[in-house]
Amino acid sequence: MSPRRVSHLFAVRLPLVGGAPSAGDAERRLLTRARKGDPVAFRTLFEQHSPAVWRFLRDLFRDDAAADEATQETFVRAHGKLGALRDDARLASWLLGIARHIYLESRRTRGTHLDIASEENEPLLEASLPSPTPEELLLNREMEGLLAEALGELREERRSALLLRIDHGLAYEDIAQVMGWSLPKVKNEIHRARLQLRERLAGHVGNGGHS
Amino acid sequence: MSTPCRESELDALLAGELSAEDAERVSAHAATCATCTRALAWLRTERGWMAQRARRMPSRPALRFEALEAKLRPAPAPRQPRREHRGWVAMMGAAAAVAFMALSMAPRSHSTSHGAFASFSSEDAWSQGMVSIARVPACMDPSVEAVALVEASFGACLLASPARPLP
Ligand SMILES: [Zn+2]
Repeated sequence: MSPRRVSHLFAVRLPLVGGAPSAGDAERRLLTRARKGDPVAFRTLFEQHSPAVWRFLRDLFRDDAAADEATQETFVRAHGKLGALRDDARLASWLLGIARHIYLESRRTRGTHLDIASEENEPLLEASLPSPTPEELLLNREMEGLLAEALGELREERRSALLLRIDHGLAYEDIAQVMGWSLPKVKNEIHRARLQLRERLAGHVGNGGHS
Repeated sequence: MSTPCRESELDALLAGELSAEDAERVSAHAATCATCTRALAWLRTERGWMAQRARRMPSRPALRFEALEAKLRPAPAPRQPRREHRGWVAMMGAAAAVAFMALSMAPRSHSTSHGAFASFSSEDAWSQGMVSIARVPACMDPSVEAVALVEASFGACLLASPARPLP
């Protein structure tokens, strides 16, 4: 297969040039209005971003009520500090960064020690694990439960970095900002998180684990 | 970006983040590499699972704006820094900018990658921060490590409440 044909299989998106105003433009306008004190604009931003912020916090706290409270606190702080956001295109990662900060503060309040252990060597891409079949793309209830358990077993920093990537779609550079890590460390931790997740789930995919 | 079998490249390919040239190179390699083909299957499945999981999120009362509204104060109007603080604010801003740049060096990060948090070096944002420092922890730069290091360099909690005790 030629490289040109192969690239179509992955549906690579290229930057759009010109054309209609993007969602990003609409969000920028909302931010401008919200900074001037327009409550309707802030409400729209809240409604657009609060589900992702809540989900991220729910994944950190693993507790619905704690996620509720921290989501509200995230937007209270964001509301007071909208002027501090200089790159409007990064609103989502800024909010998730505030959310994680609030989570870490609450952990400190509860006297929980943070796990800051870090491994240095990047693992190789694992060749022996079975891979999921296209049918398994559909997340059934059993797999959803297993996935939640597997995510919960990752230590918090690794889980945060992984979710910022695979759930919230942040760029590696933005994850480096939120986590306060170097770019290589971000890639390393996300890779390790994925391998941990796959090892945990491998027995349940690929026709019962046969590769 | 030339070593094959690097998962972050496959991931960036699926996310549409690679240049056309890199996308072709990574795709061509993946098409002939069993390890990368397996990794791609996992990466696609993870993306699909996460999307389905997000759609199944329960609706929460806390996600109604009315639940938040009472807690919101009016957005602070843009204001000039108070005269007596100007010099200090500028000095702190500059020092923090230096500290932050030192903390955030990362290979291949392009010029805008720190933009969201660029207020760190902005006098305006700093002056706002000065007024409300007790009530607003480090929203400017949410990375705990970065904040803790900057605070440590001043020997006081000026920016935030760190999530970790200072050394
Ligand atoms: Zn390969």
